[in-house]
Amino acid sequence: MARMKFYCDAERCIECNGCVTACKNANDVPWGVNRRRVVTIKDGVPGERSLSVACMHCSDAPCSVVCPVDCFYTTKDGVVLHNKDICIGCGYCFYACPFGAPQFPTGAAFGSRGKMDKCTFCAGGPEENFSSEERKKYGSNRLAEGKLPLCAEMCATKALLAGDADVLSDIYRKRVINRGASVLNWGVAYQNAGLRVSQGKAGKASSSD
Amino acid sequence: MNIARKRHMRNAGILTLLVVFILPLIPYAISAVLTPPAGSTEADVQVPNPSTVLWQDVRQRGVEITGKTQVQGVDTGVLINKTGEEWRKYRMEILVPYGAYLMGGILALIFLFYLVRGSLKIPGGLSGKKILRFTLNERMVHWFTVLIFWLLGVTGLILLYGRMVLIPLLGPAGFSITASASKEMHNLIGPLFLFAMLALIITFIKDNFYSSGDMKWLFKAGGLLGGHVSAGRFNAGEKIWFWIASIFGLALCITGLILDFAILGQGREVMALSHVIHSISAIVMISISFGHIYLGTAGMQGSFSSMANGYVDENWAKAHHDRWYEQVKNAKSKDIPVQKGGVATSGVADSRKSD
Repeated sequence: MARMKFYCDAERCIECNGCVTACKNANDVPWGVNRRRVVTIKDGVPGERSLSVACMHCSDAPCSVVCPVDCFYTTKDGVVLHNKDICIGCGYCFYACPFGAPQFPTGAAFGSRGKMDKCTFCAGGPEENFSSEERKKYGSNRLAEGKLPLCAEMCATKALLAGDADVLSDIYRKRVINRGASVLNWGVAYQNAGLRVSQGKAGKASSSD
Repeated sequence: MNIARKRHMRNAGILTLLVVFILPLIPYAISAVLTPPAGSTEADVQVPNPSTVLWQDVRQRGVEITGKTQVQGVDTGVLINKTGEEWRKYRMEILVPYGAYLMGGILALIFLFYLVRGSLKIPGGLSGKKILRFTLNERMVHWFTVLIFWLLGVTGLILLYGRMVLIPLLGPAGFSITASASKEMHNLIGPLFLFAMLALIITFIKDNFYSSGDMKWLFKAGGLLGGHVSAGRFNAGEKIWFWIASIFGLALCITGLILDFAILGQGREVMALSHVIHSISAIVMISISFGHIYLGTAGMQGSFSSMANGYVDENWAKAHHDRWYEQVKNAKSKDIPVQKGGVATSGVADSRKSD
């Protein structure tokens, strides 16, 4: 079975927030809840990079470990989902998550948390596929339609990739080699770029050499 | 001769020029020798990978970097929450196992003590004469705190251990309702504990300061090692329990309010740290309260009535709180005779206030 992953290429992300908009549109995410966000580091200074971040669907998901009601489960595609009928809105997953993925509607009195909402990799929830209940609680189920998450599908620069980890790492490996970084000296980038230009290999991946 | 002189003058001129131009350069030469050559060979050129720098920033290694994002909210600009994994390890590898060991261990010790020593009897048996130990006000504050403490304690323990203990019994859906009710009750009743704690501290603090016999009482372990130890209204053990309950109770209240009201703008790190303090305080208080409850009920004959109707037997007071007994007797002898039977009258209540 596939092991679904997101990958965001910081060298390509242009901070257009198209993925955020696509996610909101695909899943009818309520106001105040953001399953995906684009974070820009060193905004306006040299070295500025942007990354689109959502639930990373961890293999060893901290949210799932600390959940007091055990509402998380991992699908056969490696997507980490949760059952909103079981969730009690305690916020522990939010404390444990490295990426700030769990979101809580805060419409209730004194800001008490509602049931948690997070990126589902556009894979719906535990309800029957394409049911109105699933749509209402979790948004779209594009994976069941044979499609990938809309955020990655919409990405104009193909910075945000979604899919099987093997495929994604293959794509990214080709990109990295093309940029000239050496796996033996990964702290040094672009050192062979000039060499590749002189050999007429610029812009080509190694596999197509 | 002439040629030789000219050559000599020329050499002197060159030497002078060399000295004039080279002498000021010597410090630069020294510094150049002392510092290692930078980029002397092509292999040594280190161009930091922009990605490496980026990921170091993202992981907040060595630097605190907060990004910018269009999403409004607390901590939304932070890409990696550093404390999440530490909090997970604390909760799953320290709090859950060691909390269970501590509470279970204390319960086991108390049970073992009960098997060995049994209920501690009043020396000389019941006299039938009763003296007022706790006024109605003191008892109400105590039982109000007890009620809030155990509502919070039980709901908190359900949230901490329910996944291991109750899901196998109730099933996921059944436990979800239990846990949801526990969470809501914990969050709604929680702020009341602050009022209970403040009332408890104000009511009992005056008799819980250190007094001269306390160290002796502690060294003799409260008379458990044999022999009689004198004590005032509260013995050193009760005083320590009072101060632990006050300090950990207030810590519970403050951290609880931080965790309860998630709209105050506090971030994950503050809430995770609050949870650590909250849970340690709660486990410590629950563990010690087992001992307190044991000595107040099954562990010691004649002690429960002090919190039930306010009265203790005269022989109980002589055995456990002799100095307090003397105070009460002296106060009463001036006022009214010792009450028999155990009916609270205003006269007796007043006599407690006067000491």
